[in-house]
Amino acid sequence: MDLEVKRDRLVFRAMGGKWEWGIEPRYWRNPLIYISLLILAPVVVYFVYPALLATVIDANLLAAIAIPLSLMTLGTGRMNFGPQFYIGIGGYTAALLSIHFGLSPGMTLIAAALAGLVFGFAMSPLSIISGGLYYTLLTLLFPLVFLEITFIYTDLFKGDTGLAGISSLVSVGFFSLNQLVYAFISLAMMLIYLFIIDKILRSRYAVQMAAINDDEEVANGIGVNVNKTKIISFVIPAMMISIIGWFYAHYYGTFAGVTFLPLAFMLKILMVIMIGGRIQIYGCIVGGYFIAFLELLLIRTTGAMSPVLFPIILLILLLTLREGLFGLYRKRHYREYLPTLHVRR
Amino acid sequence: MAEILKVTNVTKSFGGLTAVAGVSLSINEGETVGLMGPNGAGKTTLVNMICGSYSVDSGKIEFMGKDITNLPPWKRCKLGVSRTYQIPRPFPELTTLSSVVVSALCGKDRQNRSLDDAFTEATHYLEFVGLFSKRNILARDLTLFEMRGLELARALATGPKLIFIDEVMAGLNPVEAEKAVRLIERSKDQFGVTILWIEHVMAVLMRAAERVIVLHYGEKIAEGSPEEVAKNQAVIESYLGERKNA
Repeated sequence: MDLEVKRDRLVFRAMGGKWEWGIEPRYWRNPLIYISLLILAPVVVYFVYPALLATVIDANLLAAIAIPLSLMTLGTGRMNFGPQFYIGIGGYTAALLSIHFGLSPGMTLIAAALAGLVFGFAMSPLSIISGGLYYTLLTLLFPLVFLEITFIYTDLFKGDTGLAGISSLVSVGFFSLNQLVYAFISLAMMLIYLFIIDKILRSRYAVQMAAINDDEEVANGIGVNVNKTKIISFVIPAMMISIIGWFYAHYYGTFAGVTFLPLAFMLKILMVIMIGGRIQIYGCIVGGYFIAFLELLLIRTTGAMSPVLFPIILLILLLTLREGLFGLYRKRHYREYLPTLHVRR
Repeated sequence: MAEILKVTNVTKSFGGLTAVAGVSLSINEGETVGLMGPNGAGKTTLVNMICGSYSVDSGKIEFMGKDITNLPPWKRCKLGVSRTYQIPRPFPELTTLSSVVVSALCGKDRQNRSLDDAFTEATHYLEFVGLFSKRNILARDLTLFEMRGLELARALATGPKLIFIDEVMAGLNPVEAEKAVRLIERSKDQFGVTILWIEHVMAVLMRAAERVIVLHYGEKIAEGSPEEVAKNQAVIESYLGERKNA
C-alpha cells in the first residue's frame, strides 16, 4: 500500500489496485465559489429574513435525498419511486430509540444508518430480479405499506399524530439561531453527500454504472459484475437517505409517517431530480432550492390554489426543460463521461 | 496446439423448440474456426451459451481446461472469453472512448490499473480499429461499420484469449466487408487471439478460417477444412435444399 503525491494528482496503490485523484487547483475555483455561496446563503437569510431559514433547510434536505437517489438510479439502471421509505426507516429508528431508550442523537445516527443499511440490503435484490414497471410499482408500494403499518401498529408508531418528544440535535437558546445551526448541519450533510457521490461518479464505478444503464447484458459480457454493482449502488444510497430521516426526526422533534411516506413527498423528491437536471447530482442542488422556494412562493402568493399550480408549473418545466435546469449549464460542458439517465424501454 | 475450448453435448431448448441439440466441438489455441449454417441453425444460441448469456440445459463447456458451464458471463470474460454481437449493441449514451474503457477496466484482471490507465489503453484499441478520431462521439452516432469496429475494440480491450465474431459482414458493403476481414485478421496477428467466426458469407470463411463447423437445425452436420465443407453434400442440401428427382 502506498500513496504517491504528484504535481496534479494523488496516486494510491493497494492490493493490486490503483486509484488516482486529480488535485489540480485550477479545477477548484468553481466548486469553491459555489460552496462559498451556499455557506453564505443561510447567514444572509439569518440577518435579512430568518423565517426563510426553514426553507433553506428544506432545500438542503431535498437535495441531500435526491443526490444519493441519483446514484441509486444510475447504479441500478432503474428509477426508485419509493426513496421516502428509507426516510421512514431512519426517522422511526431514531425516534423510537430516542423516546423509549433515551439514546443520544449520535447513537441514533448510527442506529438509523444501520437500519437503512439492513433494509437497503434486504430490498436490493429487487434491482436484480425486477425491472421496468415491476420495479417501479414495487418500490412505489413499500412506503405505502410502511405507512399502513404505522396505522396498524398505532401503539408503537402513534399513527397520524406521530412520535413526539425526540431529543433535539442542537439547542443554542434562540429559535432563529437554532435554525441557522440546523441550516449549516443540513448543508454539511448535503455537501458531504455531494462530495462522496461526485467522487464515485468520477471513478471507475461510474463507467460501470453507465454501462449497466445502457445495456446490462453487454456490460455483464465485458466483465462488469452487474449484480454486485447494483447491490452496492442500492444499499449505500438507502443508508444515506435513512440518515436524512434521522435528521428530520431530531430537527422537528416529532416524526410521523403521514408527513414523509405518502406519494406527495415522493413526487417532490423526483421533481428535484428531474427539474434539477435529470440525475445530475449538481442539478439536485439547483432542483432542491428551486422546488423548496417555488413551493413557498406559491403558498404565500396563491394560497389555496398552490396545490394545483405547483404540479402544473412543474409539469410545464418537465416538458420544456428536457435536460433540467442544470442542463442549461451543462449544454456548454458537454460530452463528459459522467453517466446520464437512459430511459429504459 | 493446446485445446482452448471444449464443448461437449450442449443442448438448449426454448419451450418446445430445441435450438441446439447435443453439439460438441473443440477449438485449439491460435485457430480461426468458422461456424456456419442457415438462419435458425442455432449458431448464435451456441455462442450465447458459451459466453454465458444463456444457461445450458445439458452438456459441458470447458475453457482452457476449466469447467465454465455454470459461470456467469462476467467471470467467463475475466477468464478470456469475449464476443461481438450480430446486431451491434453499443452503449448509446457513452462516448466511443468510454465504451472501450469499461472493457479495459473490467475485462481481464490487471494489476495496478487505474481509470486513467484504462483511458490510455482504450485509445490504443480505438486506434487499432481506426476510431481514434471518433473517440468523443457518442456510440449511438457511429455508422454501422464504425459500430462493428467499436464492438471489436471493446472485445479486444477485455484482454481475451478467445473471441466470438458474430456475422460481422451483415449490412456492410463490399469495401467495408473487406476492411472488416482485414481488421479481424490483423487482430489475430497482433493480439494472438483465437477466433470463432460465425458467418453466412462462405467466401470469407474460405479465406480466413482454418476449419469450418456447420450447424443445421441445432445439430452439427459437418466439420473440416473450408474446401471439404464446401463439397459436403449435407451442407449443400442444408443451404440449397434437396434435389427432387422427377
